[in-house]
Amino acid sequence: MENQKFFYDNKIVKLFLLATIIWGVVGVIVGLLVALQLAFPFFNFGLEFTTFGRMRPLHTNAIIFAFVGNAIFGGVYYSLQKLLKARMFNDTLSKIHFWGWQLIIVLAAVTFVLGISTSKEYAELEWPIDILITIVWVVFGWNMIGTIVKRRVQHIYAAIWWYLATFLGVAILHVVNSFALPISLTKSYSIYAGAQDAVVQWWYGHNAVAFFLTTPFLGLMYYYLPKAANRPIYSYKLSIIHFWSLIFLYMWAGPHHLLYQALPDWAQALGVTFSIMLIAPSWGGMINGLLTLRGAWDKVRDSAVLKFFVVAVTAYGMSTFEGPMMSLKSVNQITHFTDWTIAHTHIAGMGWNGGLVFGMLYWIIPRLFKTKLFSEKLANAHFWIATLSILIYAIPLYWAAVTQWLMLREYTPEGFLAYPNFLETLTQILPMYTIRIIGGTMFLIGFLLMVYNLFKTMAAGSVEANEAAEAPALVSQGSRNPVTETIHRWMERRAVRFSIWVFVALAIGGAVEIIPMIFIKSNVPTIDSVKPYTPLELEGRDIYVSEGCYTCHSQVIRPFRWETDRYGEYSKIGEFVYDHPYQWGSRRTGPDLARAGLIGGPMYKNAAWHYNHFMDPQKMNEQSIMPNYAWFAKKEINLDLIPNKIRAMQTLGVPYEEGFDEFAVDDLMKQAQTIVDDLKNSNIEIEPTKQMVAMIAYMHKLGKDIGPPPVEIVETLEIAEPEELELLSGEEDLAAGKAIFATTCVVCHGADGKGIATFPDLTDEEWLTGSSPSEVYLSISNGNITKGMIPYKDQYSEKQITQLTSYILLTLNKNEDSK
Amino acid sequence: MKIVSNLLENIEGIQIYYIIGLLIFFTLFVVIFIRTMRRSDNEMEEIKNSILIDNDSEEIITS
Repeated sequence: MENQKFFYDNKIVKLFLLATIIWGVVGVIVGLLVALQLAFPFFNFGLEFTTFGRMRPLHTNAIIFAFVGNAIFGGVYYSLQKLLKARMFNDTLSKIHFWGWQLIIVLAAVTFVLGISTSKEYAELEWPIDILITIVWVVFGWNMIGTIVKRRVQHIYAAIWWYLATFLGVAILHVVNSFALPISLTKSYSIYAGAQDAVVQWWYGHNAVAFFLTTPFLGLMYYYLPKAANRPIYSYKLSIIHFWSLIFLYMWAGPHHLLYQALPDWAQALGVTFSIMLIAPSWGGMINGLLTLRGAWDKVRDSAVLKFFVVAVTAYGMSTFEGPMMSLKSVNQITHFTDWTIAHTHIAGMGWNGGLVFGMLYWIIPRLFKTKLFSEKLANAHFWIATLSILIYAIPLYWAAVTQWLMLREYTPEGFLAYPNFLETLTQILPMYTIRIIGGTMFLIGFLLMVYNLFKTMAAGSVEANEAAEAPALVSQGSRNPVTETIHRWMERRAVRFSIWVFVALAIGGAVEIIPMIFIKSNVPTIDSVKPYTPLELEGRDIYVSEGCYTCHSQVIRPFRWETDRYGEYSKIGEFVYDHPYQWGSRRTGPDLARAGLIGGPMYKNAAWHYNHFMDPQKMNEQSIMPNYAWFAKKEINLDLIPNKIRAMQTLGVPYEEGFDEFAVDDLMKQAQTIVDDLKNSNIEIEPTKQMVAMIAYMHKLGKDIGPPPVEIVETLEIAEPEELELLSGEEDLAAGKAIFATTCVVCHGADGKGIATFPDLTDEEWLTGSSPSEVYLSISNGNITKGMIPYKDQYSEKQITQLTSYILLTLNKNEDSK
Repeated sequence: MKIVSNLLENIEGIQIYYIIGLLIFFTLFVVIFIRTMRRSDNEMEEIKNSILIDNDSEEIITS
């Protein structure tokens, strides 16, 4: 048969690989910045644009979609052409794909810095960018399937099945998860609410891991590992079986991100079962990868490429075992909301994705530029630095997770939480955050070594933009010959039909998970007392969403005693029916806020406290790592959009009365005025249209509707009983009292007891409710709910309160000493 | 399955999704497994090695 001449498009591969390198550096640097911010809040720089809440999505998106995304496309465009012995389907589509994707990345970076975010993790981009992603993604699929159709080989090699699954999987996930009702160019509301939104989001979030960080990488592994080792893959049969099992099972596992949360039990059970089943196909892939190297391990010693691949596949095996273990409910209560999750994702991200990308870059670039790698030694140095950095990064975080979990659930013999203040548990693990920075810095250094090495390599050679090749044309085999061809083989020959089967396998899992949540009403029992947000609260919520507060604060309390004691009543599914989008969060770097507005609850703080805390969290508590949000007091809310927002909520089924949009602004101003008046009582002047006022309104809405009726407020304490309280002047008792003061009281009364802002000075002679030991004891026990002080008899034992009273009167308040 | 069905009882008709899904998975898995295992080893070898034959690889070690 006559050979056809054609040209491989190497230029597009080069572009994608360059983008990978450049965005990779950016992503890792931003990652290092967020790590610094968590250990040293100074690195938030006091600017709204660089707060952790905005930088963290920038880091995750830069790594996932910019670094890993471009690496996938570069790796696919190179291997697809070689595997199919054909040039990419259409050069214009390739160019649109490349430049479109870079445009998306730039838009993402700009919008995150400006505080434009939907707050759906790993899908934070607003609707216009979502539409752009859809278009560019279709161009990618079109280009890929077009190339498959005009290929010059009979069989479609396994790597390409994974590429196809990636295309289809991400398409389904992105479209379903991104449905939103636009309010303006930069703001939209998710059409799903509360628990439904959570299910859809984590169905997406989990499968973004599957179809953006796993399937394309397995495809890359099936091509680049055999190529680099110069040996065929271990078992082709295994690749077929684990392909179908993996893509089928993944779609079901999403709810394991929502265990113990306000989700029906059946959905949680479903997620756990399929997560455990996933171990089998995942390990099928790992085994297939590692056994490919049998008899070639001697090459691993010298080749940095193979070393990176080995670490990648090993990290994949570890993460896909750890993941299912984390989805067991008993393990999940430790790993969820703690740094375990962060460690897990970085083992996978730095090890599996990073390792495979690095190996691939070291392999392709010399071939593309027709030269040798500038320095094999530097590449090996990069390997060792990168591998060690993963350990130095992850181990402290595992340690931090277990430490924090143990502290959170520890009780005193009297039956009180040993560490009622969340901050104590965080302060304890800050040294681990500092060590993590070392790991991150090492990873960056290794990365920069690679950049230098690769640019030197590129400078030494040149890319042949259109590389000549030849191969015999593909002769159509017509319909299946039942004697010589199995059904799977025949199916594989037909790209389009093959894609449809993949689509069906993917759709089943997604449908089972999502459809009952959305269409069966009994899944979301409503609670009558839960009222829609007022316009001011809604505005505050929108600020909360766009600032990325969910990156540190959860809003869902799990049914554990140590959570309900600390945060209040556990969360019910019906509480969230008006939440577009939901705000449950996934990591608690700060305390849960689900009951922050419940007066008399353990999390309640008054308006003056919130004002001062937003202005300068470190003034309230030196050890806090929260960025300041002082600009809330300066920035105006946009009143013009309020009626639009109310109408959008009505469209989404929130029961505001007919025509409420016309009064919404009046309603907002009225409510804002009450908060302004409240703040005025504490000598704080602020205009009602500032963002601060909306944020305070929102904080005070959280959990308010679900709590018991507000406690009857006792303005004056009954101190009729003249019972004398014996102060404890022993050193140990005073030290214990001081410790409690330093973790709990300090937030309002200051480290020296002189009172922060409008909170009472405990060192002077003015006492609101008396200064005798028993009066002070009672003030602490019963709190002063109107002023924002909670009753501490729910958190501390009688002895502890006596110790605290003694510390205040004997050590802090020297004037009283003489009495 | 007892635990699973207890959890699932709460919602009317919900178990059908779970059962259908599992059935589809197991049927497909068995079919794919048997069909794959019955394919000839020579054919598999041929596909495996096919990707190594191009300008990038000088020597090819086949298993």
